[in-house]
Amino acid sequence: MIAQNKFGSRRGSINWTLAIILASAVVLVLLVFNLLPPKQPAGKPAEGQSGQPLVVYCAASNKSVLEAIRHDYERDYKVPLEIQYGPSQTLLASLAVTGTGDLYLPADDSFLVTAQERKLIAAEYPLGKMQAVVAVAKGNPLKISKWEDLLKPEVRIAQASIEASAIGKMVHKSLSSRGLWDALHDRTTVYKTTVNEVANDVKTGAVDAGIVFDAVLHDYDSLTAVTLPELAPVQANVAIGVLNASSNAKQARHFARYAAASDKGLLHYQKFGFQPAAGDAWAEVPEVTLYSGSMLRPAIEQTIAEFEEREGARVTRVYNGCGILVAQMKAGQVPDAYFACDVEFMNQVKSIFPEPQDISQNELVILVKKGNPAGISSLKDLSKDGLRVGIGHEKQCAMGWLTQRTFDEGGVREQVMKNVVVQTPTGDMLVNQMRSGSLDAAVAYLSNAAGSVDQLDAIRIKGIPCSIARQPFGIAKDTPHKQLAERLLQAIRAKASQDRFAQEGFLWLAAEAPAHE
Amino acid sequence: MSELPAAAAVSSPPDARQQAHRAGSDWPFFAVIGGLGGSYVLLIVALLVADLAYTSPKHFAAALAKPEIQHAVRLTLISCSISALLSVWVATPLGYILSRFTFRGRWLIDTIIDIPVVLPPLVIGLSLLILFHLPFGGSNLEREAQRWLGFRITYAEPAVVLAQFAVACAFAVQTMRVTFDQIDTRAEQVALTLGCRRSQAFFLVTLPQAWRGVIAALTIAWARSLGEFGPILVFAGATRMRTEVLSTTVFLELSVGQLEAAVAVSLLMVMAAMIVLGIVRLLGTKVVR
Repeated sequence: MIAQNKFGSRRGSINWTLAIILASAVVLVLLVFNLLPPKQPAGKPAEGQSGQPLVVYCAASNKSVLEAIRHDYERDYKVPLEIQYGPSQTLLASLAVTGTGDLYLPADDSFLVTAQERKLIAAEYPLGKMQAVVAVAKGNPLKISKWEDLLKPEVRIAQASIEASAIGKMVHKSLSSRGLWDALHDRTTVYKTTVNEVANDVKTGAVDAGIVFDAVLHDYDSLTAVTLPELAPVQANVAIGVLNASSNAKQARHFARYAAASDKGLLHYQKFGFQPAAGDAWAEVPEVTLYSGSMLRPAIEQTIAEFEEREGARVTRVYNGCGILVAQMKAGQVPDAYFACDVEFMNQVKSIFPEPQDISQNELVILVKKGNPAGISSLKDLSKDGLRVGIGHEKQCAMGWLTQRTFDEGGVREQVMKNVVVQTPTGDMLVNQMRSGSLDAAVAYLSNAAGSVDQLDAIRIKGIPCSIARQPFGIAKDTPHKQLAERLLQAIRAKASQDRFAQEGFLWLAAEAPAHE
Repeated sequence: MSELPAAAAVSSPPDARQQAHRAGSDWPFFAVIGGLGGSYVLLIVALLVADLAYTSPKHFAAALAKPEIQHAVRLTLISCSISALLSVWVATPLGYILSRFTFRGRWLIDTIIDIPVVLPPLVIGLSLLILFHLPFGGSNLEREAQRWLGFRITYAEPAVVLAQFAVACAFAVQTMRVTFDQIDTRAEQVALTLGCRRSQAFFLVTLPQAWRGVIAALTIAWARSLGEFGPILVFAGATRMRTEVLSTTVFLELSVGQLEAAVAVSLLMVMAAMIVLGIVRLLGTKVVR
């Protein structure tokens, strides 16, 4: 009874308590309901676009320029961009852990190198360059114009950390190699974690000078850059990477190409103080023309088809004998890229393709019918009476030219040539004629026979080094599609492509492309 | 000044000279404690004045006019309120258990609860990120959450709340535990003796006495959530118009050298905190009465 009275008087108290608890629960539910933003009506995606948002991890220092590009891209294609800003290293850790996202745009490409090492990047698109400079207050009150001025006792200097920032690492490495580091280090007042913090310190007046990238100063009206020759070698590239984890890779590449296009994203990069990269002009479906020796077709065809699918690009392939291709180029038909059967044919157009890269090598062999019924074991055996021999045309293809040199080197030219019944512009034609039985033997590349192992045998030509051909890939110096051609080269240098070359009987020469494709 | 205790009144009354001397001797004491305590208040005021001097009404207006900052304000208020309420909901029973009951392993729970307080906030964010993406049975927590709840956690609004809650709740638990420690258990024991169940004793006797503590825990959790930055940046990201809260806005503005805008947003945070915490304290005072 006592208890009942006691608690009867407290009934109001428990009701009051419960009412507050319930009210807080209702408020909580309402707040959670309000947490998710209302669905905004999205514009209709342009034809061929997915409309699925692209997730971009972007260094906070690139925020201004990327927002400008985002504005244009969303306007043009109605594809929303979800951009996550943060420190490059933090973003890198996040994308490594989550394995999600479409694109990564760090403050400089050193982070992309790390991302490549971790196999996170599928492709890279260069955007611009940044130059290390000394940031000072507008008007340069301490009159810093040379290295000695910077090291004066009255100048308080801020630098970015040599462990945590790219510019810090680069400045340290560059100046150390020239014996300039210790003096600067002794005079440095403070090290900050990012280049923006250094600029902020100069802006607030906490220091008098800071070593920063010139592009950073675009956002600082009250600061000015002093260029010093001692810092000239310190340059960083900015690039955007498409992530391997992207579930929307085609769209991601589309945006990356847009950002890296000379008449789209790079205009903003220039406006925001970067030295823009030499980007391709924007095209919805970019196109490159590739001239290639016919012998290479089986090794590169699938790689190119995959490249076209990935990039949303078109590669116009012209396969023919290298002699014919070179003649066409000399007549003025210049492709964007040329994949030659042999260095000799690349040398003839060196002025168009100044920096070719050797990709693979191939060797001449003697093709015979399965089981080698004619008993051919050397070049000399090709001179046997009644033998029908096919070789490449020396003017029309590298293979023919090499064959003649090999005959000369082996001292069998005259004897073998009397048995030659056909000279073709490509090795494939010789293989076809061997398979049809119209030839008893042919001198062609080992790779030509790769698809006919059930019908043909290959006899190696020993002791004649010139029977080996090297295949260089060159990008035309005046091509308006340099970036796309570069990416095509990367695709050809990639691991998957290497394997295809090996399957086709080529020996690989090039360094593997850095984790791409 | 407080009245003299009754015990002092028993002794013979002091003479006037003694009283005058004692009255005079209090001033140095007040000067010292006022000086020491006031120096901190002065420091905070000086910081605010410096911030106000660095920015201008123009920057303030420009910041408020930006849709992304308006979105950040809205998300900040909502997420801080959710995480503060959730913190109180969790901290009240947990604080009560830790305060009232002795059991094996209590020290371990105590230590675990202190982890978010001592860990660098960035690590909390990274740990959340790892937790939600740790593979198990061909899936992970993020995928399962999406499957069952129908929405994304990582890099979405719920991640903001989770990141805030993970840190703020620890502070709320500490507050609630101290609150229950200070409430005499006698009244609760009496209620139990009179036939109350443990739940009745809690709701009828203990919780009404703990309202001040609940309000304190709520305000601490809310304020802590407002200032949270590291875990949000890592676990929720700083996606404009999506997971950007005011603390990440300050970071983003600083990253592009917009110090004036960063300061303007910081002051906006101070104003928001003062308004919200003022309202909570006002309501709390009424509830306690």
